[in-house]
Amino acid sequence: MQQELTTEETIEGVAKIIIDELKLEDVTPQTFDPDLDLIDEVGVDSMDLATVALVLQDEYGVSIDEDDYPKLKSLRLIAEYVLAHAPVKS
Amino acid sequence: MAEFDRQGAGVRETPGVQAWKFSDIIAVPEIREKWEKVRKHFFLRESTYDMTRRCNIDCEGCYYYQGDKAAVPENRNPDQWRQLMRHEKDRGITYVVLAGAEPSLVPELCRVCFEEIPLGCIATNGIKRIDSTVDYQIHISVWGNDETSRRLRGAKNMLKRQIDNYLNDSRAVFVYTFTRDNIDEVDEVADLLAKNNCRLTFNMFSAPVGYSGGLCHDTASLKKTRETMQRICNQYPDHACFSRYNIVAHTHMLGLHELFSCPYPRANPSTDIGLGRSFRQYRTDLSWDRSAACCVPDTDCSDCRHYAAGSAVVTSRMFRHGKDPDLFKAWLDYVDVYLAVWVRGYEKSPDLCADLIAPPGHDVFEK
Repeated sequence: MQQELTTEETIEGVAKIIIDELKLEDVTPQTFDPDLDLIDEVGVDSMDLATVALVLQDEYGVSIDEDDYPKLKSLRLIAEYVLAHAPVKS
Repeated sequence: MAEFDRQGAGVRETPGVQAWKFSDIIAVPEIREKWEKVRKHFFLRESTYDMTRRCNIDCEGCYYYQGDKAAVPENRNPDQWRQLMRHEKDRGITYVVLAGAEPSLVPELCRVCFEEIPLGCIATNGIKRIDSTVDYQIHISVWGNDETSRRLRGAKNMLKRQIDNYLNDSRAVFVYTFTRDNIDEVDEVADLLAKNNCRLTFNMFSAPVGYSGGLCHDTASLKKTRETMQRICNQYPDHACFSRYNIVAHTHMLGLHELFSCPYPRANPSTDIGLGRSFRQYRTDLSWDRSAACCVPDTDCSDCRHYAAGSAVVTSRMFRHGKDPDLFKAWLDYVDVYLAVWVRGYEKSPDLCADLIAPPGHDVFEK
């Protein structure tokens, strides 16, 4: 259940999505620094984030407002966003 | 959606929740194929550059001579342009648009840009040929038949001269700008271009700030332009490069900004990511002003339906289109056209959408 996910588990899940979608090499979900600046240090742009946002929506049921993209600057921030906005299942 | 059900995509719609998963949408083979094709080009990051204050014709409604762009000095030092291009590359720019006033008058500067950043486009009136060593896409502006061009641009035999200069040149895309008054003229222009095997795409006249002359569109001319574009696309499928969704987006009653929310710095205060972060519009003195930066500066944002604007405005709104298969197909068609028009060697694929699809949150044509 999504509300039971920990931040660390969510970080790893988000890392896997970003690695898969952006075809990143030389990094695994386990080695991806969760505090790395995705925009400045990884080179992620708005189209990349839009792609990731659509997959996050699929995986976690969370809808990410386009205005919130600038907040999603690291794996940790994305994971926290996901946990804060994911629908609570009964 | 029904079409996808028929194709057995296995996607179910549940009332009250997100009807489609993105992964299901891109699992459909024809969508997957185009998605993988276009996303390879997501690395493109553009800026635009005014190359010279000079032009060899004088067009009514020209955006360049509005505002104070043409009042700044002209830097014609190739070394300084090369330095600028290297700096642009360093900050992540991968695509340049060389525009105002008439880049063909400064070929040495165009060449320097090409040597430093090999992906780009030159917006020209086509009267003076740009040498093929500058292997950018060449957009040649057409404003109607030769009589209209003579009247509005002061140039004789314009289309013939444009075609002669760029015959059999794979860089060339002729950009027909629809005004309120030249809609019927596109038939003879498209026919001549097709006979000469020239590619054609469409632009919409978008008023510069303060312009209220006879070229501005109204409701009737937007509808007529929409119908005419559809007819020309059907009549010249091998030469007209425009999709049904291009037609909807650019002939809608609402301008691009109102439909999709323009991401260019002039309309977007955010400097965090995307065009708001990276886009610059340089003037001829190599300065730039964030508050004025967009692809066609000094255009009235509320009237902007410019093809160059749409290429960024619609394309950047992928997230809004990834909610529904038909909408996403329409977006993919639009991006496919954008890449075919702007990127050397990119070949347009057949459209996925045969119908007019409404932009997210809007009708197909609102009053």
